Amino acid sequence: MAIMMPASDQAVLDRRDAIVAALRGIVPGEGVIDSAAEMLPYESDGLMAYRQPPMVVVLPDTTEQVSKVLKYCFEQGIKVVPRGSGTSLSGGALPLADGVLLGLGKFKRIREIDFDNRVVVTEPGVTNLAISQAVAHAGFYYAPDPSSQIACSIGGNVAENSGGVHCLKYGMTTNNVLGCEIVLMSGEILRIGGKSAENAGYDLMGIITGSEGLLGVITEITVRILQKPETARALMVGFAEVEAAGECVARIIGAGIIPGGMEMMDKPAIHAAEAFVHAGYPLDVEALLIIELDGPGVEVDELIGRVEAIAKGCGSTTLQISTSEAERNLFWAGRKAAFPAVGRISPDYLCMDGTIPRGALPKALARIRDLSAKYDLRVANVFHAGDGNLHPLILYDANQPGEMERAEAFGADILRCCVELGGVLTGEHGVGIEKRDLMPEMFSEIDLNQQQRLKCAFDAQGLLNPGKVFPTLHRCAELGRVHVHGGRLAFPELPRF
Amino acid sequence: MDTLKVRDAKDVEQVVRAAIASEQPLEIIGHGSRRLAGQPMATNALLELSALNAVTAYEPNELIITVQAGAPLADVLSLIDSKNQQFAFEPMDTSALLGVSGSGTIGGMIGAGLAGPRRIRAGGARDHLLGAHAVSGFGDSFKTGGRVVKNVTGYDLCKLLAGSWGTLAVMTEVTLKVMPKPESERTLVLRGLDDVTANRAMTAALGSPYDVSGAAHLPYQAFRPAAGALAGLGAPGQATTLLRLEGIAASAADRASSLGKALAPFGAVEVLQDAVSAAIWSSIRDVLPFAAQGALGAWPVWRIVCPPASGGALGQQLSRDTGGDVIYDWGGGLIWAALPPKPDAQAALLRARVDAAGGHAMLVRASELVRRNVDVFHPQSGGVAALSERVRLSFDPKNILNRGRLLRAVAT
Repeated sequence: MAIMMPASDQAVLDRRDAIVAALRGIVPGEGVIDSAAEMLPYESDGLMAYRQPPMVVVLPDTTEQVSKVLKYCFEQGIKVVPRGSGTSLSGGALPLADGVLLGLGKFKRIREIDFDNRVVVTEPGVTNLAISQAVAHAGFYYAPDPSSQIACSIGGNVAENSGGVHCLKYGMTTNNVLGCEIVLMSGEILRIGGKSAENAGYDLMGIITGSEGLLGVITEITVRILQKPETARALMVGFAEVEAAGECVARIIGAGIIPGGMEMMDKPAIHAAEAFVHAGYPLDVEALLIIELDGPGVEVDELIGRVEAIAKGCGSTTLQISTSEAERNLFWAGRKAAFPAVGRISPDYLCMDGTIPRGALPKALARIRDLSAKYDLRVANVFHAGDGNLHPLILYDANQPGEMERAEAFGADILRCCVELGGVLTGEHGVGIEKRDLMPEMFSEIDLNQQQRLKCAFDAQGLLNPGKVFPTLHRCAELGRVHVHGGRLAFPELPRF
Repeated sequence: MDTLKVRDAKDVEQVVRAAIASEQPLEIIGHGSRRLAGQPMATNALLELSALNAVTAYEPNELIITVQAGAPLADVLSLIDSKNQQFAFEPMDTSALLGVSGSGTIGGMIGAGLAGPRRIRAGGARDHLLGAHAVSGFGDSFKTGGRVVKNVTGYDLCKLLAGSWGTLAVMTEVTLKVMPKPESERTLVLRGLDDVTANRAMTAALGSPYDVSGAAHLPYQAFRPAAGALAGLGAPGQATTLLRLEGIAASAADRASSLGKALAPFGAVEVLQDAVSAAIWSSIRDVLPFAAQGALGAWPVWRIVCPPASGGALGQQLSRDTGGDVIYDWGGGLIWAALPPKPDAQAALLRARVDAAGGHAMLVRASELVRRNVDVFHPQSGGVAALSERVRLSFDPKNILNRGRLLRAVAT
């Protein structure tokens, strides 16, 4: 394993039997799993290259049990790793050998649907898609739609601030959650926010969202729901050059049009997807854009016309406009299946997740091409082009000695390139363990220290999900020290009134 | 009082470090346009950011602007307006309400985090702040976020900075999302509804697929002091419910027609367009009926945020119990209440009602004396209050930045 995790605490491991017994006292029956065979499904998440059996798995089904488990671990100095559905692509739910894996899979109930306030109050183990399904009969849906929405849990979505194809127009998870019940590492149960548009005081919901399970364990979430747009239509546009496709994206945004989704695929991705789902993608283009407009019919019709004109102005070589739901879904089928499609043409692949300014797209693609040659590994690119979020898929074969390490080095170089071009390390998958050691590419020690101080405000002993996000762990006491410089408040050189 | 006019982030670091060393708290200001809001502070030095006023980068095609925190809001708005763009959260201009001149700086806009009518659709300041450079109470410059819309790298400290009233860090440069301005707007007007019925009409509109971007209700009393500000509405003396639709002209017109039909049970609908519509929404955004220069200028003003469907009943009850006037925005989720003056601004009564409705309330305008005697910001429950204080200390352990602005207890 290339990533170092915090050293195991032998004293904790020596007490394993007593710990398991104590946990059984809190969560009865099958809620505590300690046999190696039964813990197997929990030893990895969506980042499957990394595996680690936990010390024990606990599956509580009430907030009180979560609170008692955390309080016990807090008092005993035992590390805890929270887990939803285990679909994290960054290793956010990777267990620790001396840690309790706290699964929220039994929190599967939607607690309240409130159409008048346009919110759903749900337990964290409910899947993203199930929320939309529960309100579909009244024409509502929950907007963020990560590709894993059929499986990923809303609790995990909050932990990772998940995005999706439609977040260009409708925002990420953080823009669509209003409140939560959260249990701190100490076992304390807090309610943050609620059905109001804003919570009082500091925006704690905003900081909890995307905190990757390091601040607390969420046991209830209040999400906003929206009315489904009246219609949606898509354009599928091919370009002979990636640059032209990039220009088309910039011009659409520049014209004041915010599509519901705007996705780009490069040639290898197009070919892999077409071979897999036969969506009718053109095979002789270098880049394919799928642009979806949604809203009232009259608006969609008008905007489709404007986008068509922009695309032709950018030299599109193929252009199709969906005329039915079936056709629109077919356009999307290839894009949505891009990951498994690439999985068919390579034994293994690594999915990256950097974001760059939209305008830097052609430059980033050129750099990725060069890196592909340098590392002698193939790459297929799919992008959320509308918001500059790249998903290069690096193809490799783990059975070839050294190839996985080469793929990881290639991926790290892509992310460095994203930062260099004015972007960031991760757009929607999270830092987890995968990008942890790259954090200094983007943040100084001071930046990271400030983030860790915030962690201390929630979890002063650093017991919750340690080893994720931060490359270096500091003790809270050390981080909290103020260094006093200078003396009196006197600045002769500054203008005064 | 010492005013330290900083020229760059380095100056800010130095001033904060010296303040730490001399244990002197600092009041952080841009133009000082919101100094009358919040708990009165006992600071004897001002850290003034108005010289940090540059636009670092404006990239219309990337939908972002990077500016220094002291840049005047009005200048930035006119710059992005020249490219037909806007801050979609409609930042409130508090000057009329507080009775000061000038709409302040970008830093002040974020620190206060007061969003206008479109918040129901586009979110608040916290949803549009993509990245920031700031100096913490440790005297260290740090950055958070980035210059792209989609970013989950590290904790999202931007969310905390928005609405923190300068108590966590001194922002020096920020990157904000900008959005295209809608080509056209329509406002549907319903007349004569009581508050609860109006709340139901707004709930119906916001639960429709017509993408309503403003939902406000002015009980007829609210017209008394606001004849000028709301001239475009005509027919004063009747309660007025307003629903805004924005987008390309054909779409706005089409949705206005569909929504009008859907709202038929609530009465006949009039339609206002473009400039007339825009002027009315900016009056609502800035709460002009309660302006300091107006008839209710001497009354304290509360800003109540609550679950939207309970707003009508809450506001109506408050109005009856206090003899005050209310204005509803956000479909009932935001209530502005101007109450007849009392030494505690009727805080006990108002907060009891607001708590019962699951909301929270800030006393936005009141005399210094009243603000000394009242919790300006809504008191939080024990555990959340303690966590919030730990969060604050994680940025500012020596309590240097805007000491006592949020919490009465800290000031004394």
